Formats: sequence, C-alpha cells, structure tokens
Amino acid sequence: METLMRIKDLHTRFHTQDGTVNAVNGISYAMQAGEVLGVVGESGCGKSVHALSILRLIQIPPGEIEAGEIWFAGRDLLKLDDSGIRKVRGREIAMVFQDPMSSLNPVYTVGFQISEALMLHKGMNKNQARERACELLNLVGIPEARKRLDNYPHQFSGGMRQRAMIAMALSCEPKLLIADEPTTALDVTIQAQIIELVIRLQEELGMAVMWITHDLGIVAEMAQNINVMYAGFLIERGNVHEIYHQTRHPYTLGLLGSLPSIDEAPGTRLISIPGLPPDLIGLPQGCPFYARCAFRADHCRLERPELEEAGSSGHNVACWRWREIDAETLRKSAGGAQ
Amino acid sequence: MAKYILRRLISVIPTLIGVTLVIFLFQRLIPGDPAVAMLGEHATEENVARIREQFGLNRPAFLDRDALVEGDLPGFFDSQYVRYFNRLLHFDLGDSIHRRIPVAETLKERFPATLELALLSMFFALLIGIPVGITSASRRNSWLDGTTMIGSLLGVSIPIFWLGIMEIMLFSVFLKWLPSGSRLSPGMSITPITNLLLLDSLLTGNFAGFWDALKHIIMPAVSLATIPTAIITRMTRSSMLDVLQEDYIRTASAKGLTERVVLYRHALKNAFLPVITIIGIQAGSLLAGAVLTETIFSWPGIGKWVYDSILGRDYPIVQGVTLLIAVIFLVVNLLVDISYALLDPRISYD
Amino acid sequence: MSTQMPEVEVLTDFAVREHRSLWLDAWRRMKASRTAMLGLVVVVVFLLSAVGAHLFWNYDAKTDLDYSSKLLPPNLVSSTENPNVHIFGTDKLGRDIFTRVIHGGWNSLRVGLVAVGISLIIGCLLGLFSGFFESFEMNRIEKLVLMSGLGLALGLLPAWIASQWYQTLLFGGLGAAAVFVEKKLAQSKLRPVLFAAAGALLGGLSGLLLAPLVGLVCGVVGLLIGLLLNKPVNGKAFSSITMRVMDILLSFPSYLLAIAIVAFLGPGLEKGMIAIGVVGIPVYARLARSAVLSVSQKEYVLASQSVGEGHGRILFKHVLPNILSPIIVQATMGLASAILSAAALGFLGLGAIPPEPEWGAMLGDSYKFLSSGAWWAVLFPGLAIVFSVLGFNLLGDGLRDALDPKMRTK
Repeated sequence: METLMRIKDLHTRFHTQDGTVNAVNGISYAMQAGEVLGVVGESGCGKSVHALSILRLIQIPPGEIEAGEIWFAGRDLLKLDDSGIRKVRGREIAMVFQDPMSSLNPVYTVGFQISEALMLHKGMNKNQARERACELLNLVGIPEARKRLDNYPHQFSGGMRQRAMIAMALSCEPKLLIADEPTTALDVTIQAQIIELVIRLQEELGMAVMWITHDLGIVAEMAQNINVMYAGFLIERGNVHEIYHQTRHPYTLGLLGSLPSIDEAPGTRLISIPGLPPDLIGLPQGCPFYARCAFRADHCRLERPELEEAGSSGHNVACWRWREIDAETLRKSAGGAQ
Repeated sequence: MAKYILRRLISVIPTLIGVTLVIFLFQRLIPGDPAVAMLGEHATEENVARIREQFGLNRPAFLDRDALVEGDLPGFFDSQYVRYFNRLLHFDLGDSIHRRIPVAETLKERFPATLELALLSMFFALLIGIPVGITSASRRNSWLDGTTMIGSLLGVSIPIFWLGIMEIMLFSVFLKWLPSGSRLSPGMSITPITNLLLLDSLLTGNFAGFWDALKHIIMPAVSLATIPTAIITRMTRSSMLDVLQEDYIRTASAKGLTERVVLYRHALKNAFLPVITIIGIQAGSLLAGAVLTETIFSWPGIGKWVYDSILGRDYPIVQGVTLLIAVIFLVVNLLVDISYALLDPRISYD
Repeated sequence: MSTQMPEVEVLTDFAVREHRSLWLDAWRRMKASRTAMLGLVVVVVFLLSAVGAHLFWNYDAKTDLDYSSKLLPPNLVSSTENPNVHIFGTDKLGRDIFTRVIHGGWNSLRVGLVAVGISLIIGCLLGLFSGFFESFEMNRIEKLVLMSGLGLALGLLPAWIASQWYQTLLFGGLGAAAVFVEKKLAQSKLRPVLFAAAGALLGGLSGLLLAPLVGLVCGVVGLLIGLLLNKPVNGKAFSSITMRVMDILLSFPSYLLAIAIVAFLGPGLEKGMIAIGVVGIPVYARLARSAVLSVSQKEYVLASQSVGEGHGRILFKHVLPNILSPIIVQATMGLASAILSAAALGFLGLGAIPPEPEWGAMLGDSYKFLSSGAWWAVLFPGLAIVFSVLGFNLLGDGLRDALDPKMRTK
C-alpha cells in the first residue's frame, strides 16, 4: 500500500502564563492511503492537538509547533507557506470537529457554508456549488436536501449538523478525513448513525480516515489500526487485533479494562486506572504513566521508554516491561480475583 | 417582520410618555416661582402674566381636585401636564421666552448643523473604530493592539471640550491653519438644499464652498468623534476576540479560507451584533456631546442653542431640545433592534 | 518568622487555600499588570493630593485675587523679574493655577464619590431585588409587604383627590387582603368582582362625603385599583415595572439628562452630584439585575434554596458576594465618568459656583482668553481631568481583567 502521510517526531507546545504545556511530545507514525486509523486516549492526552497540528490550526501564540515533519503527498506540511497550507486544508485533508452545535457559523445558511469550500477549491460558480452542496447533503442522508440548503444551523438538530459538517468536509473529496471526536456531543443512537455514515462514505470514496476518540469501543468496529496516546506520547500502536488481544501497554490495558463488555461473566470487576494523567507542564523525567502504573519498576521512573517493536512488525509499544504483560492471563486473573 | 416592527413600535409608546413626563417634571425642579426665575427679578407684571399663561402656571400640575369638588369634570383634567402633552401632540414645543418665537421653528433651522456634525463624527468613528478594532483583535498583544488599547482608553478619558480647546489653541491660535468657529467664513455662501453644507456644496458643484465648510467642520467633528471612536474600537476588538475563540472560526480556517475571509466574512458578521448596540448608544451621546462641542466652536446648532438658553434661563428651549434628542435616541435604538433582527437569523420575528 | 511563611502555605489545606485566594488571586493578577498598577498609582496620588489639600492646605477662594499678576506663564524658579513661583502659571484673576488644580481635585473627588454612591446604592438595591424576585418565588411575608405597599401607593391618588388621607390605609389593607385570600379564592371567578367592588366602595364612599362628582371619580379610581390588587403581583411584575422606569431614564443620553436637571435646578456642586447620581442609577440597576439572574441559576444557590435557607440569607450570603466583582468594576469606571460629567457641568457653568476651584469651571473660565495665548490656563486643569479619569479607567480595566471569572480558568 501507498503511504499517505508520515509524521516524524512532532512536538507541539503551548506557552501559557503558568508555564509551557507540552501537549505533543515527539510523535512518529505513518498512515496508508485508504486506511482507517483510530487515535485513542483520555481527554488532554494530545490527540486533538496533534490532529490540529497536521493542518496547522494551532493558534500561534500561545501555541507553537516546535519540531517535527509531516510528510503528506510528497511535501512537508510544516514547511509550507500560508497559501500552501490553505490549499491543503479542506481540499486534501478535511476535518470534522467535536461539537456540531458550535462548529457551524450561526449567521450563514448551511448551503452557503458547504458551497464556500467548493467555490474556493474547485473553482465552481455559485450555482454549481449549490447543486453539489445539495448532492452532498443527500449523500450524508439529510432528507429534503434542497430545502435544507437555505436553512440556518440553528434550524438543524445536533445529528443533522454533524452530517452537514461531514458533507462540508467531504465536499472537495479529501484524501484524508480527520474526525475529532465527532460523536462525543451526540446522543448514543445518533452516534451509531454517524459512525455508520462515515464507514459507508469511507468505503464509497476510498479516503483515509483518522478517527479521534476516547472510546475504544467505537474504533474497534471501524478502524484497521489504532494509536494509543498518553500525555502527548504515542505509547502503543498496532492493528485492532493486536491492540485488543495482545495488549502490551499497561495503560491500554487499563483503557480496555474500563470498557464494560457483555461477554464477560457477571461479577467481573471493571478495572479502572487510578489517579489522573500527569500535568503537561513539567513532565516527569521517566515514563509518563509511571505514577498510575500497576507494573512499575524503579527503572521506569528514571528513563523514558521509546516506542519499540513488540512481537509482530506493525505492533509498537513504549514500555520497559511489555514482555511481562500478557493480556489474556491478566484478564483472567482479574476476573478470578472477584 | 412587519409584525415585529409594529410590536416594537408599540412598546416604545409608554417609554415616550414617560419621557414627556420626565421633561415636564424638569420645570417643577425650578426653585421658587418659575415665572420669576425665567424672567429674572426685574420682570414686568405683564411679562410674568404672559409666562404664567404660556406654561399654565396658574393651573395645578397634574389634576385639579378643586374643580372636581365644584362638579367640573373636564376642569379636573385641565392641568399643566395635560396641556403640555396636548401641545406636544400638535408638534408645538412652546415659545421661546425671550424671543417669543416657536421653539419648533428655530429647532428646524438649527438642527441640520448639528446633524451634519453628528453624522460626520459618526462617519469618522466607524471608519476608524471598526477596522482598527478588527485588526487589533486579529493581532492580539502586538504593538498595534497595545497602541490601540492605550489610545482608546485615552479617548474615553479626555473631556471632549478640553480636546476642542486644545485643538483651537494649536490649529487656530498658534498655527492659524483652521478657523475656530462657525460653519462658514463670512462672505462664503452655499445654496441650501438639505442644509447639510458639505452635501449641498457638492451637489451644487461649489468646491470652494465645500473646502471652506470642511475646514470649519473638521475640528468640531474630530473632537466630537473621540469618544465614539474609542468606544467602538474597544467594543469591536473585544467582540471580535470573543468570536475568534468560537469553533466555527476554526471550521472556516479548516476549509482553507484565507485569514481575510475568515476575519471579515465569518467573524465580523457575528462580532458586529454587539457593536451595533454600542453604535446606537453612541448616536445618542453624539447629540448630547454636541452641547459641549458646539459651545466651544460656536457651531450654530442645537447644542450651542441649549447652552445659550441655559444661561438665559429659556426653559422651553431646553425642554424642547432635550425632548427632540430623547426621541431621536429612541428611534435610533429602535432601528438598532430591527437591524439586529435582520442580521441574526436566530432571532425570530414572532 | 518570614522564613517560615512558605511552609505554612504548603501545609494549608487545599480547599481552604482555594477559598481564600479568590481576592488574593485577583490582587496577584492585578500586580502582574503594569497598566493596572499605573492606574492604581495615579488614583492613589489623586486621592492623597485631594484629601491632603482639603485637610492641611488652607485655601480661601474668595480672597484669592491679585490683578497685578494675572495671566502669568508658568515660572519654575524665583528670579528678580519674576519673584513669585507659579509652576502652572496664573489665571485671569492672577490666581495660582497649581493651587487651584490641587484644590479642585477635592471637589471632583467629592462629586465623583457622592454621585457614584447615589447611583450605586439605589441602582444596586433596585437591581438586586428585581433580579432576585424574578428568579425566586416570593414568600408570604414579602408578598404582604409588596402588596400593602402597592396598595398604599396607589391609594394615594383617590386619597389626594378626596383630601382624605386615611384612604391610603384602606387600600393598603386591601392589598394585604389580596395576599390572605390568594389561596382560598384562587379559582373563584368572583374574586375580581369582589375586589373591584371593595375598591369602588373604599374610594367612592368617602369621596361622596365631599361632593357627588368626587365620589364618582374616586369610585372609578378605586375600582381600577381594586382590579389591580385583585391578584397578588409576583416578582416578575415588580422587576418589569422597575426596569421600565429605568428604560425611561435610559432614553436620555446620560449627561444630557444631568445637564438638563441642573439647568432647571440651578448651578451648584451639590445639585450636580445629585443629577449625575440619578442619571447613573439605571446602569447599576441593570448590571445588578442581570448579574443576580445569572448567579441565581447557579447550582450553589439552588442547593442552598433546596435545603430551605431563607431569602435574606440566600441574597446576602450567596448572591451578593458573587455579583460584587462586576459592580466594583463598574463603580470604578463610574467614578471616571462621574468626574468627566462633573467637569462638563462645571465647564458649562452649571457646577461649582465661582470662585470655588473646580477643573471644569476653571476651563470654562479660561478658554475665552485663548486668543491671548494663555495656554497654561487651559492645559493644566485639562490634564488634571485626563489623568484622574485615565487613572480610574486603567484601574477599572485592570480590575475587570483580574476579577473576570473567564480568566480564572486557565
């Protein structure tokens, strides 16, 4: 398969009054064309910031993309000038945001907001763009699309707004769609519809999708590969099977443990991760997960583990003790401890 | 929409009646015998009687209960206020005490001068305030932003009459570049059409007249524009800063729109809503500020007239002008509400 | 002792420290802002010089007069030609401008404080009660007070017409009665009729004693009052009436109203204070009301209500402290604009009565001598206004940034 995007050693920081927030601390990975990648982690782990860094949507100041390379279609996005990155935004990489209620401009019609990108990137005139916007609304399953074009966002429900956002993102047929927790703000039933819609569109249009979420359950059904992030670090990466069944990082294990499952025998205890993620101002010197880790050793506190191959070729983990962690037996013992 | 406008119009009526009541009550504030206060100690009996008659001072203020006891029901309502209100309904603002001509007539004569001054000041304020506010918000914490903030704070802290005095001192007394008062140089004339001299001179192609009128109006307009410019700049800036934090601005950038389009198309229309309210309020203070500015620049508008009338205790003029300004202020705020409804699709008209 | 301080800090319980640091935090943030500190310094200098001059520097404006030294330019050092030092020069009556600028500060300060005090107290009380009773159901006693007050007030009209003052008490009683029968006659269609009849009787009968027509008019007025009192007003009605009156005051550009009031009252510093104060009332009323409305929706207020705390306690313990910061900011800015308005009044000859020193009046006195080139006579009083107003504005801006809850979350 063809590599679509390769991120190398990305660092993003925010300079605030209280100090420098190390939001993304040296992330490297590659995405294939047409791949669906799930990015998982607790809130504040840098998953959204790293996505915003790709499109350079970080507010500077206080933000700063300090170092790294993001290779996309043969060029480094971080080295493009302003007009260069604008041509990537919306046309090659599009983004859908978390809160559909506030992500659409309240004073313009939905139709106009979709047409805008088409007129800009595809050189369409007003009528062509309007026609295409109508098709797009149809595509994302909004009934009576033609009538809906002239509606304002406040006349749409939350789920419909997110569909409109997706239509807007897909308007220029991007090669990569970044969905930043697009279902978090929605009802559970609507969530399922939106996920289904994106899976369908991904298959039809063949684009790559990066799905950012804190919910491992969601990405299990749709993603091929999963990145697990913690405190601005990429700590485990692999395909769905590896992440779920050959889990190597204690944090991922914790995330999975806090997932209730119907299959499990009644009385099985949910494993939760104690404590809070570390303060991103002044990170600890060793493993960022040290303070909360059930497997910690003295060594973990002193030296930070690098991402290394664990078992199979696509499976990487950043943990000193991954060899000692065997997901299957651990899970059984947790069940038995009850 | 028409229904909405009508409803807003009706809701203004009680306020308007309240305003007339307040203005009527002004004359109750006059210490001692109002007629004597207006005419001074050495007034003739005849003049005092005339004033008593004009103001109905021999009638009670609101209701006449003595008339009621005598069985005179219409007489019960025949009071100063009812008479005053009745006259207002006929657009009669009373007569000037000293010149004995209708206030409304002089008002019509003098108002264009004030209107021209206020319009030009508002034009300056918008021309400077909005773009500077936007730019300074989009470059938060830059030197431009800092200068803007200090400048606008200074703008609201300077008394406009003092600024006017300083302007005269510098440009008229020391440099002798600009005239220090009145609307036109003696001997210069402009064919009146709207009585707004800048407009009239342009319409009649009288460029010498335009230049002369401009030289006269520039200093008063600048000093009158200070406060509105400062306030509109600050409001635009802070409103833009709020809007720029919104998610839909990020959406717009993620589409690949240029910074200009994001600022002026996506942010400005939202940020403009609170600014309109401020513009409405400033329109009112412009007319009030005219009292000070016109006094300093001997500008023959209603402001200077009020000042002269206060000194001469010509109360009907003060009442008339105050009423006019309050009514204009109410109308402007009504327009603000309506334009709000037009600009913001979230406000429903019903 | 001082070396132990940090340790004490560390040992303090987390929750306690949070609680204390609300104002402390604001002060720390203020200290970090150079503009806010500049404002504070200017304000303190202004306050000290004004109060100091008033207390320790005798100045009699009435006898200060020296035609031999009129309109002298600033003179910093004493020399043989110019033996007298006038650092700001002298005015048309030969008075030292520096002296008058310093003493004028006392008058400006007085006007500012009294005017803001008037607006603040009346406005905040109105706004506080409006906002509070808009968000909380009134209890029985409050309703009783409000309704009998309303009855008394409305009863003044028929009582005045018939010159029988005891009528107000009767109507006050009718208002109170409305509260007592509220529950019992809630559904009854008879109630409006009953109240209208009672009102008509109360007004009409005593009116008849005077003259038949008086009886009729008082009867009609009484009937209307009866209808009005029929249903106990709730807090919303109280609030909307208050705000309506505020709207009327706000339909005048603020200092035009002040000018007009003083124009009729006649010039004088005290009258200026009152006028500026009255004109400022609606600003505080609106601010306090909207702050109360938003605070009342907060969980901690709802919680205290649900555990049955009384209205007075909720109002003063939970609501008031939480609306203080916008009001403090507004009052600081209000001082600035009160000083400006006072100067405007003085300039128009409506403020301090000459020869009393006041900055605006000094400008009004001197600007007519501009053509003689006596720039110092208008420059320095003006600068005094600019600096003191700027000081309060900077301080207000700094306070807003420091107290803004939005800034508190990082």
